[in-house]
Amino acid sequence: MMALVQTAGLTKVFGDVRAVDDLSVSIPEGAIGLVGPNGAGKTTFLRLLLSLLRPTAGTASVLGRDIGDGLAVRERIGYMPEHDCLIPDMTGVGLVSYMGRISGLDRDTAMSRAHDVLQFVGVEEERYRKVAEYSTGMKQKVKLAQAMVHDPQLYIFDEPTTGLDPRGRTEMLDLVGKIAKSPGRNLLLSSHLLPDVETICKYVIILDGGHQIAAGDLDRLLAGASDRLRIDIRGDREGFARRLKEAGFDADVSATAIYVSRRDGIEAAVFDTAKVLGAEVRYMGRVVRSLEELFLELLERKAGGDA
Amino acid sequence: MSITLPTYKRREMPLLPRAQRVRAIITTGLRREFRRPAAIVVTGMGAALVTISSIVTVLFSRFFLPPGAKLDLSYFAVPASNGAILFFVTLMAAIIGSGLIADDLHSMALTLYLSRPITHADYLLAKAAILAPLVSMITVLPLVLTPLVAALLGLFSWTIALQAIGLSILVGALLTVFCTSVALFLSSLTRRRSIAAAGVFAVNFGLSIPAGILAGTLGNPVFYASPWDNYVAVARAAFGATDNPIDWVWSLVILLAATILAAVVTYMRMKAVEVVSG
Amino acid sequence: MTGIVDAVGVSKWYGEVLGLNAFTASFGRGITGLVGPNGAGKSTLFKLLIGQLHADQGGVRLLGENPWNNVALMRRLGYCPEHNQMYGWLTGQQFVETLLRLDGMSSADARKAATEALKVVGLSAAAQRLTRTYSRGMRQRTKLAQALAHKPEVLILDEPLSGADPMARVKILRTISEFAEAGGHVLMSTHVLYEIERITNNIVLIHNGKAIASGDIHAIRALIDTHPHAVRLDTPRPRQLAQALARMDHVVSFEFPSAEELLVRTRKPDAFYRELPGIVADTKLEVRGIESPDDSLDAVFRYLVG
Repeated sequence: MMALVQTAGLTKVFGDVRAVDDLSVSIPEGAIGLVGPNGAGKTTFLRLLLSLLRPTAGTASVLGRDIGDGLAVRERIGYMPEHDCLIPDMTGVGLVSYMGRISGLDRDTAMSRAHDVLQFVGVEEERYRKVAEYSTGMKQKVKLAQAMVHDPQLYIFDEPTTGLDPRGRTEMLDLVGKIAKSPGRNLLLSSHLLPDVETICKYVIILDGGHQIAAGDLDRLLAGASDRLRIDIRGDREGFARRLKEAGFDADVSATAIYVSRRDGIEAAVFDTAKVLGAEVRYMGRVVRSLEELFLELLERKAGGDA
Repeated sequence: MSITLPTYKRREMPLLPRAQRVRAIITTGLRREFRRPAAIVVTGMGAALVTISSIVTVLFSRFFLPPGAKLDLSYFAVPASNGAILFFVTLMAAIIGSGLIADDLHSMALTLYLSRPITHADYLLAKAAILAPLVSMITVLPLVLTPLVAALLGLFSWTIALQAIGLSILVGALLTVFCTSVALFLSSLTRRRSIAAAGVFAVNFGLSIPAGILAGTLGNPVFYASPWDNYVAVARAAFGATDNPIDWVWSLVILLAATILAAVVTYMRMKAVEVVSG
Repeated sequence: MTGIVDAVGVSKWYGEVLGLNAFTASFGRGITGLVGPNGAGKSTLFKLLIGQLHADQGGVRLLGENPWNNVALMRRLGYCPEHNQMYGWLTGQQFVETLLRLDGMSSADARKAATEALKVVGLSAAAQRLTRTYSRGMRQRTKLAQALAHKPEVLILDEPLSGADPMARVKILRTISEFAEAGGHVLMSTHVLYEIERITNNIVLIHNGKAIASGDIHAIRALIDTHPHAVRLDTPRPRQLAQALARMDHVVSFEFPSAEELLVRTRKPDAFYRELPGIVADTKLEVRGIESPDDSLDAVFRYLVG
């Protein structure tokens, strides 16, 4: 299986700033999250991948092609930028088909694909109106459409939900999720919203200071740190915890929930106790580490100071 | 039947080569320009007025003939020095050229262009190829039509006319590339096309008019600072007209150097624009 | 009991464009999240609250007073606008200080207050750098610092997390929580719903210029009876469990998303939770997890706004 992105000693220096420092990663195919604090080198890394910058040292290849061959790389990438970038006086379909043609589609294919992708992202009759009149949500969708029109193998999404209201966020994340699940399509999601990354991506890379400080399958990275259950009840929390302790389980009470260690029979004990006390069990689930917790842990371990 | 992401395996159908992609930018760019009334009016009016006034100078040559000159090839230096050319070329560069890059910087559509499989050079070439044909409607077309009409009317022999046409193309092309290069350079300096347009006026009129005025006091070398006067010097020399205030060789060097310098600086600036922001 | 914000029939139009339309709500104690689609009227409401706009109809009161032309009231609130532009040539410290001195503070007091505020938001190390060099997250924190520095009673924050990196987000949320724990009140608008849920249960949902819901998220959810509550149970024997639960007459439907999951929809969530432990304990069926996926702000938003 070919690596999506392979780098060896990739370095980019601006003056005295080592934006990307001796980065050697092997990113597998699939849905990949790219996270890191500001100044971590994410942006520089993306520019290097898009071949808009030349590395100071090291090599990198995207989908098997060296980044030195910028045209070959960009033929296979669909990039959805974070900032506004649409041509205001073109129509939605005009813009998307134009971009398709610049990517190398012939005129009819470009137009056909433009309509298809606009349909997919949910832009209906508005596609015939000028982009300047679009709402934020529709503009983001057109940005996504122009990244899709030439059916690239690798999508790069840079904060795709910026400026979107909750409905727009849900729609956009759904679309990105659908792309993530498409066979033969890969995506790199760069975002500060770590729960979004958790939802969509299977593999994540965490950068800081130009280095990779962690990378791996999300399941593996976030697994098994604790084997505890969190229980939310409506009722006497202290009394509940006490009865569980009496039954031989260890239980801690916090301001909002009860935490117990997972052992055989704990779930049954919880319901028995609830029945006896007349309490309601509203939530019971494994305490899982979130990506955000992992992220903060790693960064605090590395730095230990103000940002 | 299922609802799926519209994918189709396009691997069998390779992407069109670079030339086609650049052509797509050019044709779309031209089409968008021609949807703007201002562009149509300026191009149309400019071409018409310059052509008409040039033809008039040929029809009424005895009024325009410099004293002691003969009615031969060198007379075509007169329509080539038609001030209307300066006027309309400036207007064109300001109306059409100023926004070519400035608009893309303002909307940051540059990001979309450069994230696609084209190079910075492709982008600039395409933009130049949108402006140059339109500019040549004013710098080349009238100068080609004028000898043609003159020959058709029997005022000049076909030999002279054909020579004039050939030289007009060369001379007009020089002015075209100069104007295109400078207009694109100015357009790349700012995100607001109005500022770029002002820059175009400054470069064309702002240099020529004071040069004309100051030449009286400071002497002829002042004309080297004026793009228009440099062009006129080269044009007159090409057609064999004598009595030029400045040396045409230097003028040619200055124009070509300015053209190349503007192009190179524009390219370097484009490469420096950060299209992926952090 | 009056809230921190009391709005009665407030309307504001910009020509034909709707800002607020007969907006009526009373809210604001503790931390309140303002949520709504783009264009719903959140920014208009904020501008009315800070006295920048005057309502066309009706009136809004903040801390019991009319904000229009009310300088004394302005001193008691701290406002973070949405935009990120700052005076790039000033350092973070200078920026906050300058704004404080515009407020009327003396130079020495301003310096002290600014230093402290920047420490609270975690920017002490970067305070001497030009704001031009700040990342989005740092700018957001600087804005928060200038809003906090004069020790206001109420914070009004318009999208305070937008564009911030994960560490800044955590820092900002923590600062807001601490401010509220110390007795302050916060009105905060955001589009990222799970972040609001982390720090408060109080929300105001705005749509088309009206307040369509206000109060505790869970209480609001319970009122939405057009959408029965979904409760997901992790169990190795979902069908048997479904059989056992079917005797509850408020249960509307069962779904089996996977071999180990049962999704129950019920019209009366309270009754369901009350009866569930008894049924599980009696039948001795194993239930390993319970979750109500739609008892969330996201679901409330979706059901009320669409």
